[in-house]
Amino acid sequence: MTEINKVAVLGAGVMGAGIAAHVANAGLPVVLLDIVPDGAKDRNVVASGAIAQLLKTKPAPLTSKRNAKLITPGNLDDNMDMLSDCDLIIEVVIERLDIKQGLYKKIDAVRKKGSMVASNTSTIPLNQLVDSAPDGFADDFVIMHFFNPPRYMRLLEIVSGPKTRPEVTKAISEFGDVKLGKGVVHCKDTPGFIGNRVGNLWGVAAARFAFEEGLTVEEADSIIGKPLGFPKTGIFGLADLVGIDLTPHVAASMLKSLPEKDMYRDLYQENELMTKMIADGYTGRKGKGGFYRINKESGKKVKETINLVTGEYAPTVKSTLASAKAGKKGIRAVVEYDDKGGRYAWKVLSHSLSYAASMVPEISDTIYQVDEALKDGYAWKWGPFEMIDKLGAAWFAEKLAAEGMEVPELLKTVGDGTFYRVENNKVQFMETDGSYSDLPRGEGVLLLSDIKLASEPVSKNGSASLWDIGDGVICLEFHTKMNSLDDGIVAQMKKATKLIEKGDFKALVIHNEGENFSVGANVGLALFAANLGLWPVVESAMSDGQKTLKKLKYSKFPVVSAPRGMALGGGCEVLLHSDAVQAHVETYTGLVEVGVGVIPGWGGCKEMITRHTLNKRRPGGPMSAMMGAFEMISTAQVATSAAEAKEKLIMREGDGITMNRDRLLADAKAKALALLDGYTPPEEVEISLPGPTALTAVNLAVEGFVANGMAKPHDATVSKALGRVLTGGDTDMTEVVTEDQLYALEREAFLGLLKTEKTLQRIEHMLTTGKPLRN
Amino acid sequence: MATVYKAPLRDMEFVYYELLGGEKLAELPGYEEADPDTVKAIWEEAGKIAEEVMFPLNRTGDEEGCHFENGVVRTPKGFKEAYDLYCESGFTGLTADPEYGGMGMPHSVGLMIAEMMSATNHSFSMYPGLTHGAYNAINAHGSEEQKNTYLPKFVEGTWSGTMCLTEPQCGTDLGLIRTKADPKEDGSYNINGTKIFISAGEHDLTDNIVHLVLARMPDAPPGIKGISLFLVPKFLIKEDDSLGPRNGVSCGAIEHKMGINANSTCVINFDDAEGYLIGKKHKGMEAMFVMMNSARVGTGMQGLAACEQSYQGAVEYARERVQMRSLTGAKHPEMKADPIIVHPDVRRMLLTIRAYSEGCRAMSSWIAQELDQHEKNPDPVRKQEADDLASLLTPVIKAFQTDVGFESANLGVQVYGGHGFIREHGMEQYVRDARIAQLYEGTNGIQALDLVGRKMGMHMGRYLRRFFHPVQEFIEAEMEVPEMNEFVMPLAKAFSRLQQASAWIAQEGMKNPDQAGAASVDYLRMFGLVTLAYMWARMAKIALAKQDGDEAKFYQAKIKTARFYMQKLLPQTGSLFSTIMTGSETLMDFDEEFF
Repeated sequence: MTEINKVAVLGAGVMGAGIAAHVANAGLPVVLLDIVPDGAKDRNVVASGAIAQLLKTKPAPLTSKRNAKLITPGNLDDNMDMLSDCDLIIEVVIERLDIKQGLYKKIDAVRKKGSMVASNTSTIPLNQLVDSAPDGFADDFVIMHFFNPPRYMRLLEIVSGPKTRPEVTKAISEFGDVKLGKGVVHCKDTPGFIGNRVGNLWGVAAARFAFEEGLTVEEADSIIGKPLGFPKTGIFGLADLVGIDLTPHVAASMLKSLPEKDMYRDLYQENELMTKMIADGYTGRKGKGGFYRINKESGKKVKETINLVTGEYAPTVKSTLASAKAGKKGIRAVVEYDDKGGRYAWKVLSHSLSYAASMVPEISDTIYQVDEALKDGYAWKWGPFEMIDKLGAAWFAEKLAAEGMEVPELLKTVGDGTFYRVENNKVQFMETDGSYSDLPRGEGVLLLSDIKLASEPVSKNGSASLWDIGDGVICLEFHTKMNSLDDGIVAQMKKATKLIEKGDFKALVIHNEGENFSVGANVGLALFAANLGLWPVVESAMSDGQKTLKKLKYSKFPVVSAPRGMALGGGCEVLLHSDAVQAHVETYTGLVEVGVGVIPGWGGCKEMITRHTLNKRRPGGPMSAMMGAFEMISTAQVATSAAEAKEKLIMREGDGITMNRDRLLADAKAKALALLDGYTPPEEVEISLPGPTALTAVNLAVEGFVANGMAKPHDATVSKALGRVLTGGDTDMTEVVTEDQLYALEREAFLGLLKTEKTLQRIEHMLTTGKPLRN
Repeated sequence: MATVYKAPLRDMEFVYYELLGGEKLAELPGYEEADPDTVKAIWEEAGKIAEEVMFPLNRTGDEEGCHFENGVVRTPKGFKEAYDLYCESGFTGLTADPEYGGMGMPHSVGLMIAEMMSATNHSFSMYPGLTHGAYNAINAHGSEEQKNTYLPKFVEGTWSGTMCLTEPQCGTDLGLIRTKADPKEDGSYNINGTKIFISAGEHDLTDNIVHLVLARMPDAPPGIKGISLFLVPKFLIKEDDSLGPRNGVSCGAIEHKMGINANSTCVINFDDAEGYLIGKKHKGMEAMFVMMNSARVGTGMQGLAACEQSYQGAVEYARERVQMRSLTGAKHPEMKADPIIVHPDVRRMLLTIRAYSEGCRAMSSWIAQELDQHEKNPDPVRKQEADDLASLLTPVIKAFQTDVGFESANLGVQVYGGHGFIREHGMEQYVRDARIAQLYEGTNGIQALDLVGRKMGMHMGRYLRRFFHPVQEFIEAEMEVPEMNEFVMPLAKAFSRLQQASAWIAQEGMKNPDQAGAASVDYLRMFGLVTLAYMWARMAKIALAKQDGDEAKFYQAKIKTARFYMQKLLPQTGSLFSTIMTGSETLMDFDEEFF
C-alpha cells in the first residue's frame, strides 16, 4: 500500500507551511500540525496562523486561495490522531536531533501500518535520524529535502537509508515527481546532499574571490550571474535575496559535518564585513538592505551598493567589465577574457566545477543528478558537468593542472571527450567508468527536446516548427524571441491545419519548452507598421490571425494547447481557441493588451464575452457578463496559476493541469488522443449583447475612474473602445451577434487605438523598457 | 553674358508664411521680435547686400583665391570690407541671444539669409557660417564664463569660430582622433596635434579665431567615447577680455581645391596650445551631436542655394541666347532665331532646377521651423515631436538637397552649352562650389546610413510617424478635393512606395545590415522626392485658392511647377523602388579581388 492520498506535515514554519501548501496545490488533503505555545487560547494557533499567512505571502505559495481549505490545522499535543489516516507524514521541525527523534516515536505510535515518514532535514544525516527509532520505522523512512519556496523551487532531494523499503522510495519519488511536479534527485546520505554541497562551495568561492580579486559588488554580480548561466541577481544579489544571516548557520553546519579534506574548509573564511552587516541588521531584502539597499533619505529611491573594502554605501554603478559582455560568445570567452572579471570568473569556476567533478561518486552515482540538482535547486542554467563540456573538459583539466590545482578523477576519465553526447538520437551521459548510458526518462515523460534530437521537423520556418510526436499527433512549437507571435507562427498554424485535413495527422498539440509559452503578439512589428501608417498591413495581419485561430477552433480535429510559463495576450488567445488546454501548474495567463494601449484583437474579447455570457454561475441580467469580461480585460488581469486560469474562465472545467513540466507534453498528447474518439467540432455560438445603452453606462463608469484619478485619460479611451466590443457594437438584446461580427468589432477598435499617439507611446515604452507606460 | 542674382524674397515669404505659418513662431517665448514685418525687412536688407556686395565678389574671389604666406592667410580682395559690412548690418548676431548682443531671431529666419549669402557667394558665407556653429556649441555646452567671454565677440563678428574635427587618419570615423589634450595644473589643457580641412581656420577677417577642437585626454577610453571638446583661441584672452599673446596654434598650409576657393581650408597645427574643456570630459561627441541637426540643415541649404543661383543664371541665358527655331515653328519671327527657352529640353532643365529649388526651400524651411519649435516651444510634447521630425529629415535635407544642388548646377552649365564651360560666365564655378556640400558635414553616403541605420529604428520607429502620419492624413483629406487630384494621386503613389520600401529595409536590414546599406542612398533620395512632393502638393493647394487674385502669375507658376514636379520628377521613385528591392546581392557578391 504505497498510494498517497492524504498527507501530514509536522511543523508549520515557513518551509512546513510551504510544503503543506504545495501538497494542497496537488489537490490532496493535508494536516498541518505544530506545537501549542505556552498559554495559548487557540491551541492550533501556530498552524492556523501559518495557513492565514499563506494567503498573504508573495510569491503565493498556493496556486489558488481555495486550496487553503484543503489544509487542516492542528497541534502536536492534541491532534496526533489526525496522522492515523495519512499515507505520508513529513516532518519539518527544528533541526535538532533529539526533538526529531522524540517526535518520530510519537509518530510511530499513531501512524497506520505501511504509511511513510519523511524528514525535510538539510543538515542531519539519515543514519542518525533513525538510529534510535522504533522497529520498522527506518523501513518506511526517507529524507525529502525541499528547497524554499516549495511551490517554485523544482528540486526535491530524496535520501533513502539502507533499511528503506524500495517501494517506499519509489512511491515517494513518484509522488514528488507526478503529484508535486518536482525534479526528483536521489542523493546519498552525505553532508549537504548534492545541491547544497556544491552550491555552498560555489557561493563561498564567489564571495571570497570577489574580495580577493578586488571586484566591486556590481562587477562581481555582472560576472557570477547571467554571463555564466547563474541567476541574474548575481552572487551578492542572491545573498540579499536568501538572507545574509543564513550564511554563518550554513557554514557552521557544513564545517561540522564535512570530511576533513574538503575544499570548502580551504575556501571558507569568516568575513568581517558580513558579520558586521548581520549585526547591524543588514541581512538582505528582508532586513534593512544587504549588499544592495534602497536609500530613501533624499526623498527619492536611490539604489545603493556597499563598498566591500570600506563598508560604506554609495549609489549603484553599473559594471563596465568587458568580460561580462563576452558571455554572449560563451562561458569560455568569459573565463579567458583578460581582465579582472575574466580572472574572477576563472577562479570561481575552476574551484566550483572541479569540486563538483570530484564529488561523483561520493555524493551521487551519476553526473546528471548533480547537474539536475544545481539547475533545479540553484537555478543554474547549466549544471557543472554541462559547463565543463562547454569549456572543454580537456582544456579545463589542463588549465587546472597548470595552476597546480588537483584534477579530479572524473576529468581524467573523460579525457578530451565530453560528459554528455548524442548517440543514436539520444542524449547520453558518462558513467564513472567512462562508459555512456542513455539519460533515463520516467514513464509518462515526453520531451520535445528529445523528439527534436531524434527526428526532423515536419515543417519549419524562422518562427515555428511542426513535429511528429507519434500516434498521429503533430506538435506546433513556437521559437521566436520570447515566443512572440508573428506571421511565421500563423503560417505554421495554417500548415498544421492543412496537414491534418489532408490526413497526415489526426490531432494538434500546441506546446514549446521555452521559458514562456508566448508573451503575445509581436507588437514591435505592429508598431513599426503603425509608425509608417501601413494600416492595411496591420489590419490584414489581424484578420489573418483571427481567421486562423477561428479555423483551429472549428476544425474537424482536436487542438490541445499545453502552456507553461507566460501565455499572455495573443498567447492567451491561442488557449482560448483551443478545444482543450492541458496547462502546467505554473502557467501565467491573461489578456494584457490594454497595458500597451490596445485591446485583444485575435478573438480574446470575443471568447471572454462569450464565456461570461454562457457561464451558468454568473448573476442574471445582460450586464453581468459584460462587466465580468470588461473588468478582466480592462485591468489586464493575469491568472497566476493554471488553477486561477480556470477561475477566470480562460481554462474550462475539463481542462487539465500537469504538475511536472516534463510530463506536460505527454499529458497534452493523451488529452488530444482522448478527444479524438468521436470528435465533433464545437458549434458556433451566437449570443445577444446589450449594445449602445450598456456602452453609455460603461463610459460613464470609466469617466468616473478618470475623474477620481484611478485611471489615466488614455485608459478611458482604451476602456471605451473595449466597451464597444464587449457590448456588441450597434446591437441590442433582441438581436444575435455572430463571432465574425465580434472579430470585426475587435479589428475596428484595435486599429482605432493604434492610430492614437498615446497607444503608440505605450507600445514603444513597453518594447524599450519592458514596463507599461501610464499615460 | 554672365550670371545674375535677385534675392527670391517673394518665394521666401510664400514658403515661410503662406505655406508654413511662420508667424506662429513669434508667439513663442524668446521669438517675440520675429513679427513678419521685421523679418521681411531684414530679408530685404540681406537681399540687397547679397545682390550688391556678395554676388560681385563671387567670381573675383574664385579667380583670386586665398593667399598663404608665412602662416598668414589673406582672403581675396574685397572680402574684408564685405565682412565688415555684414557684421555692421547685424547679420552675425541675427539669431543670437539678446543676452550676448544678438537679435534673438529664429534660426529659420537666419536660414533664408544664409541661403541668399550662399547663393551669391558660397565661399564668403562659410566664414560667418562657422562662427555661427561655434556660437551654438559654446552656447549649448560652455560654462557661463566661456559664454560671457566668447559669445558677444561672435555676435559682433570681431572674433570668428571653426570646427576642428578631421585629422589625416580620421574623417568619418572620429573615434580614430589622435590630437591629445593633457591636463595642466591650472585646469586648462595642453593641446597637441594636427587638424586638416579646417574651413576658415586662418584668415584676415577677424581679430581672433576660436577653434573648437576634438581631442583625447590621456585617461580617455578608446574610440568615440573618449573624445572631448576643447576651445582653443588663436590669441589667448586676458583677464579684461582683451587679446593676449599668440597661442600655440598655427596654420601649416591651405588646401588647393576643386571649389570654394575663396574660403581658406587649412591645416591647423596645435603645439602645446592652451585649450579649455567645453562640456563634460569624454563627452565631446554628445556636444557635437547637439549641433549636428542645425549644421546639416544649413549644409542642405547650400544645395538649395546652388539650385537657386543656377536657375537664375540659366533662365537669363535661355531668354537671351538666340539659336534655331522652335520645333513647332518660329515663336519670334522678328528675330533671326528663337531664344532657346522655346525648346522642350531647355524647359525641362529649367523647370527641373526650379522645382527642386522651390521644393527644397519649402522642405528646409519646414524643418528649420521645427528646430525653432524644438528650441523654444514650452510644451514638452510639441518640443519632442519637433525634434523627432527634424532628426528624421535632417539627413534627407543634407544629402538630397546637396545632391540636387549639384545636379542643378550641372544642368545650369548645360543650358549654356559650351559657354557654360567658360570661366567668365560663372556657371562652372557653381558646379565646383556645389560639389563640396555633398562631401563635408558627413558625406551623403553617411547621411543615408544615418537615415536607415539610426533614424529609422530610433525609438522603435517613432521618428517615422512624425512624417508618415501627417502626410497620410493630408493625402486622405485632399483625396476628396477634385482639383487636388492631379497632385495628391502621384503623391499617394510615391508615398506608398516609400512606406513599402521603409518596411522592407527595416525587415531585411534586421536580418542583414548590408541590405539596408545597399538600399540607403536610393532610399534617402526617394524620401527626399516624396517629402518634396508633399511640399509641392501643399503649395499647390495654397496656390489653387489664390490663382485668380492679385498675384495670379506667381500662383499660377506655382501650380504649374507643382504639376511638372509630380509628372516629371516624382516618378523617379518608381525606379528607385525597383533598385531598392533588388537588395544587396549584386554589390556584395562581387569578390573584392575582382575590383
